[in-house]
Amino acid sequence: MTTLEHALLSPAPEATPQIAARAIDVMKTYGSGDAAVRALDGASVTIPAGQFTAVMGPSGSGKSTLVHALAGLDTIDSGRVFVGDADLTALSERDRTLLRRERLGFVFQAFNLIPSLTAAENIALPLTLAGRRPDPAWLAELVDMLGLQNRLGHRPSELSGGQQQRVAVGRALIARPDLVFADEPTGNLDSRHGAALLSFLRDATRTLGQTIVMVTHDPVAASYADRVVFLADGRIVDELPAPTPEAVLTRMARLDVPAQMVGA
Amino acid sequence: MWRLTVSNALAHRSRLALTWLAVALGVAFVAGSLVLTDTSSQLLDNQFRTAAAGVDLTVRTAAAFNSAMGVEVQRAPLPADVVGRVADTPGVDRARPIASGAGQLQVRGRAVLPAGPTILGTWADAPFTAYRLRAGHAPHGPDQVVLDAATAREHAVRLGDTVTVSATTSKQLRVVGLTGVGDRDGLPNSNLVLVDLACAQTLLGLGPGVTSIDVIADPDVAVADLRTRLATSLGSGYAVTTGQDTAAASAAAAKQSISYLRIVLLALSAAGLLVGAFLIANTFAIVLTQRSRELALLRAAGATGRQVFTSVLGEALLVGVTGAAGGTAAGIGAAYGLRGLARGAGLALPDGPLTVNPRTLLVAVAAGTLVTLLAAFGPARRAARIAPVEAMRLSDPAPATARRGRLITGWVLLGLGVIQLAAAAAFRDIAGVAIGAVLFLAALVVLGPVLAPRLAQAVGRPLARLGVPGRLARESTVRNPRRTAATAMALALGLALISFVSVLDSSVKAAVGTSYREAITADLIIESARNEMLGGLSPEVAHRAASLPEVAVASPIRYGHWLDRGMTSALTAVDPATLPHVARVRMTAGSLAALDGGGVVLAANVATERHLHLGDSLPMTLPRDGQQQLRIVGLMDDASARALSTSYVISLATYAAHYNENVDASVMVALAHGVKPQQARTALGKAIADFPNAQIRNQAEAAAGRAAAIDQVFGLITVLLCFAVLIALLGITNTLALSIVERTREIGLLRAVGMTRRQLRSMIRAEAVLVAAVAVVVGVVVGLGLAAATLGGLSSDMPLVVRVPVARLLAVVAAAVLAGLAAGLLPARRAARLDVLTAIATH
Repeated sequence: MTTLEHALLSPAPEATPQIAARAIDVMKTYGSGDAAVRALDGASVTIPAGQFTAVMGPSGSGKSTLVHALAGLDTIDSGRVFVGDADLTALSERDRTLLRRERLGFVFQAFNLIPSLTAAENIALPLTLAGRRPDPAWLAELVDMLGLQNRLGHRPSELSGGQQQRVAVGRALIARPDLVFADEPTGNLDSRHGAALLSFLRDATRTLGQTIVMVTHDPVAASYADRVVFLADGRIVDELPAPTPEAVLTRMARLDVPAQMVGA
Repeated sequence: MWRLTVSNALAHRSRLALTWLAVALGVAFVAGSLVLTDTSSQLLDNQFRTAAAGVDLTVRTAAAFNSAMGVEVQRAPLPADVVGRVADTPGVDRARPIASGAGQLQVRGRAVLPAGPTILGTWADAPFTAYRLRAGHAPHGPDQVVLDAATAREHAVRLGDTVTVSATTSKQLRVVGLTGVGDRDGLPNSNLVLVDLACAQTLLGLGPGVTSIDVIADPDVAVADLRTRLATSLGSGYAVTTGQDTAAASAAAAKQSISYLRIVLLALSAAGLLVGAFLIANTFAIVLTQRSRELALLRAAGATGRQVFTSVLGEALLVGVTGAAGGTAAGIGAAYGLRGLARGAGLALPDGPLTVNPRTLLVAVAAGTLVTLLAAFGPARRAARIAPVEAMRLSDPAPATARRGRLITGWVLLGLGVIQLAAAAAFRDIAGVAIGAVLFLAALVVLGPVLAPRLAQAVGRPLARLGVPGRLARESTVRNPRRTAATAMALALGLALISFVSVLDSSVKAAVGTSYREAITADLIIESARNEMLGGLSPEVAHRAASLPEVAVASPIRYGHWLDRGMTSALTAVDPATLPHVARVRMTAGSLAALDGGGVVLAANVATERHLHLGDSLPMTLPRDGQQQLRIVGLMDDASARALSTSYVISLATYAAHYNENVDASVMVALAHGVKPQQARTALGKAIADFPNAQIRNQAEAAAGRAAAIDQVFGLITVLLCFAVLIALLGITNTLALSIVERTREIGLLRAVGMTRRQLRSMIRAEAVLVAAVAVVVGVVVGLGLAAATLGGLSSDMPLVVRVPVARLLAVVAAAVLAGLAAGLLPARRAARLDVLTAIATH
């Protein structure tokens, strides 16, 4: 903890190129009084660039809150959050929106696409919102990788669940973001389509050097990542490099035991 | 189930709030109209009852009818000897001769022009009248006058001041007393000018005659018996009425103009309620779509379709009853506002405390509740059909697309409507136009969900330039055809009515102005400043004008009411000898000069319509002597008839034989050769200076005065139609606010991937503007079409050319689009405030 305290007391730390994002001692409480829920209780995590990181934890552990804080979707009570060298806690709402548009990508579990836009338009959305056009070569490459060549003119309602999620991934990658956040991206997919999507995300890290942070509760999904961080009671309690489903399952089983007995 | 209904309504109160407001606004309009007209009638009743106070019977000369078009018929004066005969009749305690009529009052050289009449009357104490002296004493002699305290206060007249009173003749009188009427300071909208009998007779030019005799019966004689006795002894030339009947007849005459106002107001409130019904139906449809999963769950839990239906209608009942109650309360207050508006449009309405009848409350609450229930009926039926399995469905149901049956019905209705409108316009059949209009509007409602999205696509094309927010705005407007249609149609209806009225206004104005300018060649026109229906100029005005050296011809014109097969109609009386010098009357048969023989000249189109020919007799019921046969001595073209204001023209001599009114409506003046208009105007002004209500106008001013009168009426209607538009705009706000609730996740996603709040706000505002723009296109086009058809239908009375008031319509368009923008402000702010996280977390 001393290094963290040091980081807190010192002015904005020099961002090292290898770190895509980091959270330092983040506190977040929802509600007040008796109904208050402490979602994050001094959580600190570093997301290395070019890696596929999975965030796991039992429900209520604060994993979604942590990722939302890292992505600038949610404000925090105290602590600091950096994306690259940008201090999100110091940014206005508008600047955070612009940062999301320019430097972050998102894949959600469901309702990823705007129903009235075609697949191609959905992919280009972050750029068109910024008043730019997608780089045609990159768009073609992405579409090719995602296998969406024949579906570009279709609306979301005409696409299968797997296709919809692939369009969402395309949208997340189109702006070549520093960081892609995926929140249970395979939650609504059957295992075959889920596996295909996860392979694609892993390949994106391996071949394009894309940094990805994925929230999941599925050990198999987590095993696609380069590293798994575990949350419990609002803080990081463990981490596992080069995970296998079995190893993840074992760690998770331990986390379900009350935290003080584990001694975290 | 009822408890569930109530808690549902409460849980969705923010969603139902605007529906509630729409019901309340519509009902407020209804209640306000009823309260205003009831109040005015009540006040008029009171006024005449108070004035008749303790009089048992009134003796006047007989007349064929009491009043027409809100104006009491003037009766012939009673000969002086009748007073004695009445007083000597056994059973009469006291009899009081009265000379009264319309007069004018000038204070310090300036005319006092109340909204209502200036009543020149004979002073009397109780029990004959309700006059109560507040200061000074009763008038005695030829130079004393008593004014009502209210008028005196308003114009700072004190005891001892001198005022000018004119009727047939003019006099300077000293104010010796101030009076109240009962416990009030005067009569609403009127001036009371009270003098003694001889003075009134002189002013009114009655000689020894009187206008009526008030009778108080002996206490031991039954009034009904005395009435019979008096009627028998006086003979059929005289009418004996009870005080109450006289008051009731006077009140009825005054109330006639209010009954027109009531019809207009209620018709416009109906339009407001109709627009509100669209909004209510839309809100219920949206809320129920959003709740379809919850309703399906209810069904799965064992609720029957009927229970769901009843529950939804129950909710509507709750909203309807409370909204109607709120609206009724607001409407009572709104009556004051309506009174102000109506007065602004030149209607004389009495002042006083509001009358709220139980019937008003009942009608207003029932109307609001019924409209809400009817509007919710369709959505409720659809809700009842939701299958229990839909509870398990993940995605929201896709908006329903138009069914084939709807399309066919719509196009058939539209075709029929257009054919009917075109045919009716061509055949000048105004009733047919009304049927066509109903068909046409029904077609629009049915076709709305098909037309609105296409229109939105087309109209919304420029929005694409706003980038993604603009495109998305257009897409979401197109995505839900039924909703967009209902929202836009409500506004379109209001705007259609406004453009309809605008076109009608400018076309009628143009037609009236054109025919006036074409037919009237007079250099100057003297008219009464107050534009009394039958005219208010003393014959002395025409006489003095004619005797000026600058004037070649002064030709007076009068109007009169008559009964045409029981229906009130109007006629014009002219001087056949001088009229051709001041007007271009084109005869299609016979001659104007033949009027001297006592006949009548008809407008050619009326003659054709009634299958009358030159030489035929026309039965006319005239006020003094009942039904007369007048020979048709000539036919004039329609433009001439319009310039003379009616389709029936008689000579002034014939008029004098059948009417007691002795006032001119206008005097048309042709100047002597070489006299400059300005010079003549000055001379005329000097000559008739003691007739303050006489105004000298040139042809353009006179035409403008007519246009202004038309503008006032249409202006009032337009202002009132804005209420309907306001309700429709609430509809846009409501629909958008509800659709934002529905699109929470979509909005969250857009925000997450980088849509700024500003972009989001502009997206929602663009949606509102787009709906308004669609409504503007539909409304203006429909309004223009219906106006053209209506003008065609009306052309049997006067050939009307469609005049489109471009500037005014552009102003309406701009206002509607801006208002649409305003309607989107609130939902836009709401959407922008939406927390990104809660938006995306709504799984």
